[in-house]
Amino acid sequence: MRKTLLAAALCATLGSAPAAAQNGELMLYTSQPQDLLVQMIEVFNETHPEIEVSFFRSGTTEVMNKLEAEFAAGDPQPDVLLVANSLVMTGLKNDGRLLPYPEAPTEAYDSAIMDPDGAFVGTKLITTGIVYNTELVSEPPTSWADLTDARFENQVIMPSPLYSGAAALHVGTMTAHESFGWDYYEALADNGAIAGRGNGSVLEAVATGQNAVGIIVEFMAFNAKAEGSPVDFAFPSEGVTAITEPAAILSTAENPVAAEIFIDWLLSEAGQRFSAEQGYLPALPGAPTPSTFPDEVELEIIAVEPGTLIANDEEMKKSFANLFGG
Amino acid sequence: MPSRDEEEGARSHVTRPGALRRLTRPGAGDRQEGLLLGLVAAFVLLFCLLPLLRLFAEVFAAGPAEGLEIARDLLDNRFARQAVINTLEAGLLSTLVSVLLGAGLALAIGLTDLRAKALLTFLALMPLLIPAQIAALAWLELIGPSSFLWQLPGLDYPAGSRNPLYGREGVVILMGVEHAPMVFLTVRAGLRALPDELIEAARAAGARPLRLTFGILLPLLRPALLAGAALAFVSAIGNFGVPALLGIPGRYTMLTTFIYQRLNGFGPSVLGEVALLAALLALFAAVGLAVQAAAGRRGKLSLERGGRVLQPFPLGAGRWRLEAAVWSLLILTGVLPLLALLNSSIAQALGVAVTLETATLRHYADVIANQVTARAFVNSTLLAALAALSCVLVSIPLAYLAVVRRRALARLLTLVSDAPYALPGIVLSIACILLYLRPLPLLEISLYGSFWILAVAYLGRFLALALRPAISGVEQLDPRLEEAAQIAGARGWRRLRDIVLPLAAPPAAAGGMLVFMAAFNELTVSALLWSAGSETLGVVIFALYDEGNSNAAAAVSVLTVIVTLAIAAAATAFVRWTKMPRGVLPWQT
Repeated sequence: MRKTLLAAALCATLGSAPAAAQNGELMLYTSQPQDLLVQMIEVFNETHPEIEVSFFRSGTTEVMNKLEAEFAAGDPQPDVLLVANSLVMTGLKNDGRLLPYPEAPTEAYDSAIMDPDGAFVGTKLITTGIVYNTELVSEPPTSWADLTDARFENQVIMPSPLYSGAAALHVGTMTAHESFGWDYYEALADNGAIAGRGNGSVLEAVATGQNAVGIIVEFMAFNAKAEGSPVDFAFPSEGVTAITEPAAILSTAENPVAAEIFIDWLLSEAGQRFSAEQGYLPALPGAPTPSTFPDEVELEIIAVEPGTLIANDEEMKKSFANLFGG
Repeated sequence: MPSRDEEEGARSHVTRPGALRRLTRPGAGDRQEGLLLGLVAAFVLLFCLLPLLRLFAEVFAAGPAEGLEIARDLLDNRFARQAVINTLEAGLLSTLVSVLLGAGLALAIGLTDLRAKALLTFLALMPLLIPAQIAALAWLELIGPSSFLWQLPGLDYPAGSRNPLYGREGVVILMGVEHAPMVFLTVRAGLRALPDELIEAARAAGARPLRLTFGILLPLLRPALLAGAALAFVSAIGNFGVPALLGIPGRYTMLTTFIYQRLNGFGPSVLGEVALLAALLALFAAVGLAVQAAAGRRGKLSLERGGRVLQPFPLGAGRWRLEAAVWSLLILTGVLPLLALLNSSIAQALGVAVTLETATLRHYADVIANQVTARAFVNSTLLAALAALSCVLVSIPLAYLAVVRRRALARLLTLVSDAPYALPGIVLSIACILLYLRPLPLLEISLYGSFWILAVAYLGRFLALALRPAISGVEQLDPRLEEAAQIAGARGWRRLRDIVLPLAAPPAAAGGMLVFMAAFNELTVSALLWSAGSETLGVVIFALYDEGNSNAAAAVSVLTVIVTLAIAAAATAFVRWTKMPRGVLPWQT
């Protein structure tokens, strides 16, 4: 085992050229946190030891830029893409970059989380709400409006859409929604809110008490709470935004067969149960809720028309950067 | 093994030095030497010059109209403007901090009879051994609310206040601390070169130590101070680790982080724009380097006048006071942050205080078991070894051709090879992306997105670091030995192998260890060039911190620091063992 690991490391290191075409290798580009990803690959390999999964992990935006550069260079690497939101997937689909997989085992799933042509399918639900430090905040925030309140002045940190796909969808939705709009973000900026990088930077700042409250994806906050960090998560009363972490196969995939096996596993009951064990809300109706979640969760989803989000994306990032510097 | 002929040649040369001059005039090299020069030149041109030429081509290729357009757009962007202002501001302010710290320590250690100077010197140079992103992480942990510092009696963290290191002050102070060793080194070298007679004369005239220091020594040390300050400035404006970890969350963007964010947020479509910014950054650095070169020349003059070495001032009964001050400062800058890092690496989870019950090694177990961090260790080791080996192999003949053979082209090449190391790392990364984004012509192989783009960038980046010790090694070489071998008919390869190599190899090897250490910890270049499978340690630490897993980031950092210190210790032992002249390793002045 050790030997193969080292061999794999060397192989991956010394350029993918010699062995990439070998049967059973799968290249995954994803935005999932690294430790969860490594665990997931281990569990996947319990049932599919023949597939060796390598990956590139970073924020969705960086993953996509990497991929864009690879398209430009004419040599896209990944077989499977597993990133935060369906907007980038739609963009890729429209460019003909995705290999439809309509045979994916999606019968039990809500059709809202998948592409009608089978180009991509959601694998879990990740909502964005509010994390707070339990030692610093005696009266927890309950709504998005609270974050613009004077009692959280200079205390709010949020992930940047220039980095995180979940944040891009969140900011895109909030700014396009009539109840919030850019006014809401200007109010946040006026209240001294700052942008970190990914959701991890938000968790870090809030768990260690550098910021009292933050905007974050729920599973990170619940996982940290379960490990003993002094944080808790609030589902704001106005609702949460949600992403589905869709998976797709690239039309240029070198190993589409392994890619299909991997996506089958993600959507299988075992795969969904494992997602829940990792603290993710599974996309499969009826799958168990993660033990880290509070007993009763009622999700109200704030959403806007996807076309608007895609159309506004670039402008949104620029406006955000102008307000928060990154 | 020198042959009998060579020995005889050497003897005859020693007895009749002038008679053979015409045979050894520079430029009388044989074909082998020409070939060697060609190979070395190819290396330097390919890895050091080509990327930079490509960058400037990008800036000018857009055409004057379009270039102006891009420039105008950038000036219209207040964040780009702010990044330029911040870069200059943080560069200058942190240089001030570096000068105060570095010069103060150099004077305290170099001028007085403080005890345990070797240890103090080592601590003063610690920041050189610890890369910026690890230092930044360590300081965040030290000042942050979960630090062990706040468990000490009498100290309380102001609840709910943001880490004060986020933002301008943190960036300035931390970069100041990081680059203080450069000022320390130049000022110490300057002190060494000062003649003792001068001080004695001033003392005889009744000058007290303080008057002496500020009235006589500091003015004499001005070139050394200026050279050190220029180096600190160039390092500061090119620093990425500190502004990335402290500046981005504090909304204090410098050019390096601005370029990084633009490229990550908007992709290759902004390459033209960031190339312009990178060129601007290179321009600022060039000004700093010009100042350093000018100051260095002035410093040389006073160095040659050097008489007896300066005698330390006796501090008398008050010695402990200065000792207490110096020790506190060095423990604060060199030891406490590392302890905080260690503390964070054994903490149960984010924000949980470390006690005997909660301390855990699981983050170490996790990072060792994690395929990415394991691979990063392998990658960084391979890259560092490759860079060290190649740079040493090139630097010996290059130093030989430039210093002993005085070939004009070789001397020019040594200047060229300085550029990628002296310029900010992000400039080189942008240059490499531009050069290697598309598949290589003819070969149709794409370096971008592979391990090899990192290797190529590292070769260019670190050649200068190996070259300096190699040059100082070759300078020790008695030219008569080499001339003798030439007269005896030994041709290029042979002379290089039998005469130059044995003498130049040890310093060059020490230089190789410096390259290894620097490459092992590299972040700035890797941050833009890494890809799946080619993660480096710097990138992994940065990414783990980003994912909110700073306990694991701390664990990887601790392991990296251990390896770095071990290599530094090995290099020191090696230099002692081979009885090399001092000054080969920067911390061994």
